[in-house]
Amino acid sequence: MPAQDYIPIDSDWLGKAGSLWTTPWVDKPSDRVIVDPIILSHAATLYRKNAGYFYSNPDEAVRMVCGACELYDVTPVGHYLYADYWGADYGAEIKIQTNAPPGITNRPIKTAEDVDNFEVLSTEDLVKGPTLTTHYKALDTVKNEYPQMFAPITQLGGTMEVATNWASIEDVFMWMITEPELVDKLCVKAGDHMVNACRATAERYGANVMITGSVIASGDLMDREQIKRFSYQPVSRAVRKVLNAGAGPGVYYHLCGNHTDDFDLWKDAPMSPFTIVQIGYDGQNIFPTSKLVENFGDRCTCFGTVDTKLIDRGTPAQVYAQAKEQVIAGKDSPRGFILGTACECPTNAPPVNVHALVRAAKDFGKYEKF
Amino acid sequence: MDIKITEQADNLLKDNGVRKEEILDIIKNSESSGQKLKSKDGNTCIAKGASENLTIYAVYSASELLDVYTHKMNILGITGGEIKPVEYDDASDWICAKCGEVALERNVDMSYLGVTRPGPGLVCAKCGEMYVSAGMAKSTLKTAEAILEEKRA
Ligand SMILES: [Zn+2]
Repeated sequence: MPAQDYIPIDSDWLGKAGSLWTTPWVDKPSDRVIVDPIILSHAATLYRKNAGYFYSNPDEAVRMVCGACELYDVTPVGHYLYADYWGADYGAEIKIQTNAPPGITNRPIKTAEDVDNFEVLSTEDLVKGPTLTTHYKALDTVKNEYPQMFAPITQLGGTMEVATNWASIEDVFMWMITEPELVDKLCVKAGDHMVNACRATAERYGANVMITGSVIASGDLMDREQIKRFSYQPVSRAVRKVLNAGAGPGVYYHLCGNHTDDFDLWKDAPMSPFTIVQIGYDGQNIFPTSKLVENFGDRCTCFGTVDTKLIDRGTPAQVYAQAKEQVIAGKDSPRGFILGTACECPTNAPPVNVHALVRAAKDFGKYEKF
Repeated sequence: MDIKITEQADNLLKDNGVRKEEILDIIKNSESSGQKLKSKDGNTCIAKGASENLTIYAVYSASELLDVYTHKMNILGITGGEIKPVEYDDASDWICAKCGEVALERNVDMSYLGVTRPGPGLVCAKCGEMYVSAGMAKSTLKTAEAILEEKRA
């Protein structure tokens, strides 16, 4: 669908959504908590397209996302990204899938020698590479067609996520036991890569918001010491470097999965004035927003979550009930609060469930602190 | 101490809206109180001073002014309230000259236009003095200040 097939964004809505979106960052009073259900390929389903179509057409993808933001009345930002970034730049193959985000195969690092010989690409080379070429096609479309919905985001994940896009997860986990120093090396390289990638976005758009954190490195797969060594420490070093290199100022710590045993580490992760922390799960349960605010509320902006499994397979009433509890616990968090989903909105989630999430924010997310 | 101000340093002063006497005063005060950061090789120092709503830093050697930078965000204190040990290598390349302690890379609360948020700082765990590095101030804080000015207007 070319640009002329979309209706222009309602400017009244955009003004109001923009004001709700500004509040958690700069404490400028507005009416209520904004919702960010992390809409990516889910937007395509609203246009009767699939994830494969979404990721094959980055310019159309962001048009769909921007349209979906208005439809649902959520954060007015045209996102485009997927988890398996950065493999293709180093020789992996990327596979577009019909009903899921792209996946990578044939990762470039296969042996311990490959780790030693692996060279991180420069900022210049990354800009010419497949990941940023596609990513910037999407971002440029937002900037040109929906300038008020533009945010210069760089999708990284943490060091373990970048590392497992270079080497297979099986190999990395095996090395963690047999040759942990090798994984240290890999994580240092992943950190250097993160800095170069953030530089590229900051140079292109004048600022950058890095999506980092710990996804594979969660309590489901790693223990606290492993998360500390291979994720928290190298990620912290990389974020410091990014901020020092002028490749910030946005820092988004996306702690996906279970972080019961390591969430407290991240309280001291390097933060800029525009830092947000989102934690997915506490054991098997959704991470309670009360616990998030108790630990991070006096530090940075908090992102409270509703279980993506519930968004995908629950009823609107279940989504609404969980969202109500989370938004009441978080709305007056001293340094700002956003309500969203534990991870990206599932591609085929029922739209009524996203609506239920937003309704809960409208019904129970009115600010009392202003 | 006779600090030379080159033409280049003079331009930096102008860019930052800082007067020559002001920066020399900041250096003089730091030298007499000992309250400054010193590089590990001892050749470079960072002195900090304040003027109205601006925090001003002088980076200097024994003979000349090397760099000048400023930030408008006002440092309030350690994020989270106190300096506790963290579980990563937080040692910076700088030493608190007064205490002889390595300055730590820690988040510090900063306030500007009524908004308080964390920012990356350099902190002496012994005397509690807080600084911001040139890299952070010139990039991250500059951008943050511009966003706050735009959004809080
Ligand atoms: Zn000291």
